[in-house]
Amino acid sequence: MATQVRFGFEQLRRAPLVLFVLLCTVVSGGPFLWVAAMSLRTTAEIFRDPYGMPSPVHWEKFVDAWTKSNYGTYFWNSTFVVVIAVALVTVIGAMAAHCLARYSFRGNRLVRFLILSGLILPPQLLILALFQILLDIDLYNTLSGLILVYVSTHIAMTVYILEGFFAQIPQDLFDAARMDGYSDFEIFWRVTMPIGAPAIFTTVTLNFIILWNEFLFAVVLLTDDDKRTLPLGIMHFTGSHQLDVGMVATGLMIAILPIIVIYAFSSETMIKGMTAGAVR
Amino acid sequence: MAVITVDKLCKLYAGAQAPAVSDVSFTVADREFMVLLGPSGCGKSTVLRMIAGLEPITSGTVSIDGRIVNPIPAKLRDIAMVFQSYALYPHMTVYENLAFGLRRRNVDPAEVSRRVNAAAKKLGLTELLKRKPHALSGGQRQRVALGRAIVRDPRVFLFDEPLSNLDAALRVTTRNELIKQQQEIGTTSIYVTHDQVEAMTMGHRICIMNQGKVAQMGRPLEVYRNPADTFVAKFLGNPPMNLLPGRLETQDGRLVARLAGCAFALPGRTASSLVRHVGRDIIIGVRPEDLYETAPVAEATQITRLPARVVAVEPLGAETLLVVALDASNDELIVRIGRDTALKNGDRFDVALDSSAVHLFDPATTKAIV
Repeated sequence: MATQVRFGFEQLRRAPLVLFVLLCTVVSGGPFLWVAAMSLRTTAEIFRDPYGMPSPVHWEKFVDAWTKSNYGTYFWNSTFVVVIAVALVTVIGAMAAHCLARYSFRGNRLVRFLILSGLILPPQLLILALFQILLDIDLYNTLSGLILVYVSTHIAMTVYILEGFFAQIPQDLFDAARMDGYSDFEIFWRVTMPIGAPAIFTTVTLNFIILWNEFLFAVVLLTDDDKRTLPLGIMHFTGSHQLDVGMVATGLMIAILPIIVIYAFSSETMIKGMTAGAVR
Repeated sequence: MAVITVDKLCKLYAGAQAPAVSDVSFTVADREFMVLLGPSGCGKSTVLRMIAGLEPITSGTVSIDGRIVNPIPAKLRDIAMVFQSYALYPHMTVYENLAFGLRRRNVDPAEVSRRVNAAAKKLGLTELLKRKPHALSGGQRQRVALGRAIVRDPRVFLFDEPLSNLDAALRVTTRNELIKQQQEIGTTSIYVTHDQVEAMTMGHRICIMNQGKVAQMGRPLEVYRNPADTFVAKFLGNPPMNLLPGRLETQDGRLVARLAGCAFALPGRTASSLVRHVGRDIIIGVRPEDLYETAPVAEATQITRLPARVVAVEPLGAETLLVVALDASNDELIVRIGRDTALKNGDRFDVALDSSAVHLFDPATTKAIV
């Protein structure tokens, strides 16, 4: 009897939490499902009944989006830019984080402040300056220029996450590696990087998701159609006098699929990386 | 094999007012096991890290086999170190942990395998070679840490409190294991600890440090029996030495020490060493095991009786510790007696003091009067 009472109370106590989680799920999952449904309907169908279910299901819209709208090029441009930018930002950011976490040198705090101040600058503030700089160095309207901008704007967050994690790695491990004969760079590569893998994986995933969806820098810094990335490709379906809502939804689904796949495989590791200590 | 000489070693950390290590000098002979003993923050680990090359030296020198190694980086000093936290690489298996140092030194893979397997066999790690550190117990991790030092076959071993993370029972077995290994291998070793039992049982010699300086150095029993000052007297021994205020006087033409109203002769002490303290206050030190409930008959002539009251009884199983307050001065003493005592709180009895075993210290300098 007592157990039953406690059980009922426990359920009651958890009810607000369950409701809150449900609400969050609806708020974040609802629009996604709506776009997913729209991606399989024509624009005419959508205007007739905006919240309707796909009937019939127009799978051919995905083929149309890919073949008739240069989507293949946008997709590979996005892949090229994001993969290289994420690789560079990870290696450079990890090196910087390792130095800041491990060595005390003159100006250490200033360097940390300068790097991390990048976290508080809104991208809109930088856009004109970056536009001018890229023009000056002949990297405007190039994928390399966009990669450079992505690396420089995402170093701050990467260093911020990795430094916190690397600082938890016990100093004794580095001392042991020094006694074992390893140089500073070898210690970074063979001790810090493998032990910091969960945090590195986290930054890779986060940076990938953010850069894959990045629109502002891409729209300002790229003009040629064959250099556009996926988020710009979706604009292809919006004109000044008409909006093909159905195709925009299809384009969004194509753009979002790699992110869903990455997140599905890595969400657990990512959460571990953000919450776990460095060494058990 | 190697001789380590530390000469006037000093360490001043940036921004610190006082040096962490000041004027430390000692020599560790070839194949010797030297223990650096002291309380937390006394500078013993800093000395060890300076010898290892992990900490820059402010002044003074560290030499190995007569060659000053101050400018030589840690990796070229041919020293292996076992850390308090074991410092095992968590992403590597036991085998890889053991082989990590050898691989860096470009040792032939077959030789790496031979040496790792030999060390694993010696330390009972053969079954664990494929495991990662998180799947090992504390004792097993400690053995891997030791194995990592052994496989390198270095000139010098440094141990930085390697047993302090183990529970009491495991600490005893691992301590014996370490003693056995050191005797077999015979590599010159320096062992840092704050545990006096480890120091007494493991070290050929111990160097007791206090506030960044060497307080006393010598063979364990030598230091225990003849502490150089009140710090060493208190630090070495569990329970610690009783230190009581007393006075040195002459009585009927002979020197006597006066403690809590009782005067007793000082057998074995020459008058010349004590004469300048006559008529002055001194600190009288007596170890708990030199105080008795019933005086041993054979030494009756050296026994002084001090009337006292039992304040606390601490039965430890093998023995019993009594805390007693002297009637004359109310000073408290710890007495170590047999487990079968019938004494209880509030009982009065005469504490029997073996006057041949007392230690005398100068209250001004805290140094021993010898």
